[in-house]
Amino acid sequence: MKKPFFLILITTVLGVIISNAQSQIDNIYKINFKNSDAIKEGTEVKGYYFFYASDKVDKDNYEYTLRISDDNLNVLKDVKFVDSKHVSLLESSFNGTDLIFLFYNSDEKTFDYQVYGADGKKKFSYNRQLSNKEKRYLAQTYLLINDDENSYKGLYPVEGLGFISNMPSREDRDYTFQVDFFSTEKKKQWTYIPTEGAKKFVGEYLGYSNGVVYFEVLKYGGAFDHKPESTILGLSLETGKQVFEIETDAKYRFYPASMSVLNGGKAYIYGEYFDLNDNIAKDKSKGFGFWNVDEKGKIVSEKYCSWDLELGKHLNVNSKGKIDDFGFMYLHNMVQTSDGNIYAIGEGYKKVASALGIASKVLSGGRGGISTVKIKVTDMILIKFDQGFNVKDATIYDKNSNTYELQSGYEFVSTPLIGKMVKYYYGGFDYAYTQTNKDFSSFTVCYSDYVKEKGYKGATFNSISCNDGKITTDKINTKSDATRSIVLPGKQGQVLLLDYYKKDKKLVPHFEKLN
Amino acid sequence: MTTAIKPIFFLISTLLYFSSFSQLKTVYDFQKDDSVLKKAYYGQALENKNKLISSLKEYKKDYQEIYNARFKEVADLLQSSRSVTDQQAHNYLQAVLKKIVEANPELKAKEVRLIFSRDWWPNAYSMGEGTLTVNAGLMVFLDNEAELVYVICHELSHYYLEHSDRAIKKNVETYNSPAFQEELKRLSKQEYGANKQLEAMLKKFAFSSRQHSRENESEADMQAFIFMKKTGYDCNAITTCLQLLDSIDEKFLYKPVDVEQAFNFSAYPFKKKWIQKESSIFSAMKNDESPLTKKEKDSLKTHPDCSIRIAKLKDQISKENVGKKFIVDETLFQKLKKDFFIELTEEQFDRKNMSRNLYYSLQILQSGENTPFAVLSIARCLNYIYDSQKDHQVGTVTDKETRGYPEDYNLLLRMLDKLRLEEIANLNYNFCIKYEGQLSLYKGFNEELQKARKNKSLY
Repeated sequence: MKKPFFLILITTVLGVIISNAQSQIDNIYKINFKNSDAIKEGTEVKGYYFFYASDKVDKDNYEYTLRISDDNLNVLKDVKFVDSKHVSLLESSFNGTDLIFLFYNSDEKTFDYQVYGADGKKKFSYNRQLSNKEKRYLAQTYLLINDDENSYKGLYPVEGLGFISNMPSREDRDYTFQVDFFSTEKKKQWTYIPTEGAKKFVGEYLGYSNGVVYFEVLKYGGAFDHKPESTILGLSLETGKQVFEIETDAKYRFYPASMSVLNGGKAYIYGEYFDLNDNIAKDKSKGFGFWNVDEKGKIVSEKYCSWDLELGKHLNVNSKGKIDDFGFMYLHNMVQTSDGNIYAIGEGYKKVASALGIASKVLSGGRGGISTVKIKVTDMILIKFDQGFNVKDATIYDKNSNTYELQSGYEFVSTPLIGKMVKYYYGGFDYAYTQTNKDFSSFTVCYSDYVKEKGYKGATFNSISCNDGKITTDKINTKSDATRSIVLPGKQGQVLLLDYYKKDKKLVPHFEKLN
Repeated sequence: MTTAIKPIFFLISTLLYFSSFSQLKTVYDFQKDDSVLKKAYYGQALENKNKLISSLKEYKKDYQEIYNARFKEVADLLQSSRSVTDQQAHNYLQAVLKKIVEANPELKAKEVRLIFSRDWWPNAYSMGEGTLTVNAGLMVFLDNEAELVYVICHELSHYYLEHSDRAIKKNVETYNSPAFQEELKRLSKQEYGANKQLEAMLKKFAFSSRQHSRENESEADMQAFIFMKKTGYDCNAITTCLQLLDSIDEKFLYKPVDVEQAFNFSAYPFKKKWIQKESSIFSAMKNDESPLTKKEKDSLKTHPDCSIRIAKLKDQISKENVGKKFIVDETLFQKLKKDFFIELTEEQFDRKNMSRNLYYSLQILQSGENTPFAVLSIARCLNYIYDSQKDHQVGTVTDKETRGYPEDYNLLLRMLDKLRLEEIANLNYNFCIKYEGQLSLYKGFNEELQKARKNKSLY
């Protein structure tokens, strides 16, 4: 402890103790960026949390501080508690009335879901004990992917009612997923774990509408099954019981990617589609489809937009030439603006030959652990539809591509499935999030990129904004003199940059607007 | 045009250009600081500090550290545009000071550097080494010269009673006491719970220090009364000034800003969504914003409540004859109040706090006084905000909505927070056009209008 520093500290101002509304956080004993995030209600940022170890209590325990701020970073509450040094905060969510925080104790192998009311007081907590097998499985899936960008999320808000948690799980020899509902009205929980009819289940939360929680489920017959059965599963929010399960192979082979509630509360599920006879591992998708599936599982409407007919004519000459370079499209999100138009936000990806994988195969006599193909993530795309899903416009936004080596055997895996892997396993897409404003007159799509330009070489945070139907783009250079920086969502059209200065033990947040 | 006529034409047009240029009026005659006086004050403060350091014997390094830090504060003030050394304002302040010193000869031996600052927040302070400052943000709210005299007497009392030096001495001695050093040594070796104990130790220290500080305030009030009653000024100003300080956060010199009225144009109507309040999820937390207990919060206040301060002096003040509210110059006092509001507004531009610069400029515009200054200031500010937003730097030049700010300021901040580049460009262009007729003959306005026009043309 240096004397002059301490003396000045006690002689001038006692900033750490006295200030209760400062945005800078000092005295950080240990920081992990995944322990800071925006608290969102839908796409709206309502506040932020910062979770950090503020002191060592003994050899096994830390004192933790969970700081909750409003959307302008005014400190609202510091919740302090002592817990094991193995505790980390995995994620949080807000459902319009209550907050939920998911803590993980890696030593005890427990998930602790803590629910806080809007007054900042703890209401109740839900615990889940993980088996050794589950812990290992989660370590390869959920926990592995929960990186600084928080690309993997397993907690979803159900407005005013509670939260849905979706996690990979293991039941005996089966690999599956576990859905939990945690009520915030009263202490009530249900759990759903599919185990019958396949050896491996992968479930992805699609959305919630009219009392039903929608999931996309892939069922594998075995570890090497490259053509899993794809279904849409509907669970009752009230009971957790299955309401319906419908196959997605119908007129076409349809691979749901996401869901949005559009056109006055209807659930639309969308994703790429193929001909039933197509080789999904090799062939290019035909385009993408939209299914309106009601709460009973009835497919009310289907609409398919093909690359060649509907989309091709709206891309300009340069973009048309780029379609092959663009590759497949992963649809991240869809938003409907107040004028009724619907916008789809997608990102391209394609399989390309991997020199490393080929060399590995040659050198190992065909037994190399790296696939001969790798994944290249390409550009962003914004497609505008009318309310009937007729394409009105489409634009490709260039960005630098990233590549990801695949494990051996993935040459034969279907491309839509690889798209899901890029999103959930590799966290490989540059897309970050989409936000709409309150009256849906504007939205902002954010994604990261990397540029090498004269005067700046480094990461950028980019945006495509739509205001009253007018599209603009912008980018912020995020490289600074901080030890590390991350970008969090801000209010619509803004981002929060968190700069961590290790030497000064401080975290400096600042908002910037996207134009 | 023949070759012979050409030179004559150029001569005439050049002359016309310069003559039209010279006709441009300035929107406001700003105070002109005296750089020689600033340098002289800086020199005095430096010499004073060096003398103090050279006289040190015990704990020299610790004192030196504090005196250097204190001098840095003084130097920052004196070397920046914050300090006012404009002849008229400064001479007025010195004339008031002279009245106090003449009535209290014990102050004659004290080296005093009394200045106004252009800081916006309502405050006055003594640095403890002779520099006394009255912020423009306080001056604009004072009702009369007697209130200013009380403020000066209060700060002079701190200096006269050596409160700052005594506090420094106490801190250094506490820090170097065997008990404190032993505790520090123990904490530096402690592996567990060190932060918590250090925090507790600092809290204890802070409570004792703040308690002492409040005692000093009461002592300074009493001494200020003693100084003031001999001056001939009305001592009731102590009560009115303390009452003012008690509610100064809610005070407005001009009426609150109406952003809707200021930025509503027939060609570009105001959009309600700019100031629409977002739903707040944590409303219930607002009453519990601080991690400190109520007792702790009370203990950390540097000043006793104004009602307590008034009560302590009430009886003695009532015994005094009613003095004068003005002795030196009432007209100048009133002029300086108005000047200072403009000066502190301009200072916010210089210090790159654009939201506050805009806030005060809008107040001036809505008051109907100094319209040319207000219009130019708003146009320039919006152009600056436009450029900053374009460069992703607007977060560094604007405040964020914060509880405790006046409601109208928060509304303006909310609007700035929501405005998109195109909207700023449109707003400023329409704003400039509205005042073009009035302002076109003022220096600087056409440049801002051209910038606004250019920005708007991009959309």
